[in-house]
Amino acid sequence: MHCLASLLLSAVLLLCPVAAAAEGQVHLYFFWGDGCPHCAAEREALRELEALYPQLYVHDFEVYSHPVNARLLQRVGEALRQDIGGVPFTVIADRTFVGFAPSVTLPQITGRIEECLGSTCHDSLVTLLQQSPSDSEPTPQPPAVPSSAAAIVTGTGATDILSGDISQPSSSFRFSIPLLGEIDARFISLPVLAVVMGMLDGFNPCALWTLLFLLSLLIGMTSRIRMWLLGSAFVVTSALVYFFFMTAWLQLILFLGFIFWVRLAIGGLALVGGAYSVSKGWGKGSGCIAEEGVQRKRIFDRIREAVSQRSLIPALTGIVVLAFAVNLIELVCSAGLPAVFTQILALNDLPLWQSYALIILYLLFFMIDDLFVFFVTMATLEMTGVTMKYARISRLVGGALMIGIGILLIFRPGWLMFG
Amino acid sequence: MIRLFPRLPPSSMKVLKFGAVWCPGCLVMKPRWKEIEAEHPWLKTEYHDFDTDKEAVQTYKIDHTLMPAFVFLDTQGNELLRLNGEVEKEKLVSLIEKYKDQ
Repeated sequence: MHCLASLLLSAVLLLCPVAAAAEGQVHLYFFWGDGCPHCAAEREALRELEALYPQLYVHDFEVYSHPVNARLLQRVGEALRQDIGGVPFTVIADRTFVGFAPSVTLPQITGRIEECLGSTCHDSLVTLLQQSPSDSEPTPQPPAVPSSAAAIVTGTGATDILSGDISQPSSSFRFSIPLLGEIDARFISLPVLAVVMGMLDGFNPCALWTLLFLLSLLIGMTSRIRMWLLGSAFVVTSALVYFFFMTAWLQLILFLGFIFWVRLAIGGLALVGGAYSVSKGWGKGSGCIAEEGVQRKRIFDRIREAVSQRSLIPALTGIVVLAFAVNLIELVCSAGLPAVFTQILALNDLPLWQSYALIILYLLFFMIDDLFVFFVTMATLEMTGVTMKYARISRLVGGALMIGIGILLIFRPGWLMFG
Repeated sequence: MIRLFPRLPPSSMKVLKFGAVWCPGCLVMKPRWKEIEAEHPWLKTEYHDFDTDKEAVQTYKIDHTLMPAFVFLDTQGNELLRLNGEVEKEKLVSLIEKYKDQ
């Protein structure tokens, strides 16, 4: 097995048309992972650089799904005495670039390309390839045309940056909708996903229980102002708790740098959460489980206590604290969908304000049933519920969606990168 | 035989309604029952709150079932039928019509 791997690796290395930094040519070696947004950003940037510099040849190696490429990256790290903690990892001659930030790394890469175009640079990977465990002398040839670089990885499944999917013309994302005209799927996919996932997450009317109980106490109040203030404080705090949770989760995912195992773990969570949701939706009628619950009783007592405060400030404080605590508890029940949604946001590597705007959109639809019940009850002073007829369908659809996204997160994360 | 008086609808059939203020489905059922009760003035109904009417909840074993719950009782107080969850008005009316003689 070991021999086979060595043989395969040698074959790959030998086939590499890398070369020898022929004069006037620059070879860039790009190690990346499918589903890593910084890698996707760099691929995009490299594609533009290739168009800009005809003498630039980009050889790319996908390392998450291709063990041969991962081993090659490991060998590159050893040869260059570089601790490679992640991807993207780029080598141009004797310089390496870890990670990718358009404002920092791109000028560095461009600068290095121009340096090498102006003078002959020592291609450190050629040396590595020449030292490859093979009896035959490697005779790497620089590709005459960029597409031949695909030969590097033919049989290993990796793709060349010029022949891979990123060179797909952007027009394939565009489609026509009557009245709305031409739409680019890449720009509407995430908002649509935010709306769908937010609604599926929010369509759990039993989660309304605290708000309904609070409203049942509020509608008996004489002061309408106090009633609106206390009710609004609860709704706004609930939304804020969810917003903080989702933004914190997003930051955590961004901080963790898209570690392969984190993505797998979230994919696993989506599968488990999805299966649970489907099982809950299967064969159940529409209703709430009648349970006494010590915790529920305690929360009701606290709400009564807060509402009955004579002064407004302690009452408001009590409601805000309660809303915070209750929503944290409720989060555990629906942590699957927001966690998966924020993972998708992270994969798309959007500017922070866009990610936050999409989280707000998600929340708006998540809160839609709460807002309906709140405003109708406050306006009519009659308790209003929302039908639970569709809760079962939403569990089934939401569960199936979670399972689908979980599978994509594990096996095809690139498909979740819409931009 | 000539009937001097039209047959009166049964006055003893009863429906027990179990719900809670925190249960959205129970709130949805309230206006439906209000309409049914207006259309069937002879029908006896009783509402029991899950959190406050513990005795009724225990007697009819409502714990750990789906709410809203509706228990149909005959004239002797025996349980005829039990429905859990939201129920369409038409279904409730047809069941009331079906069991009104029992």
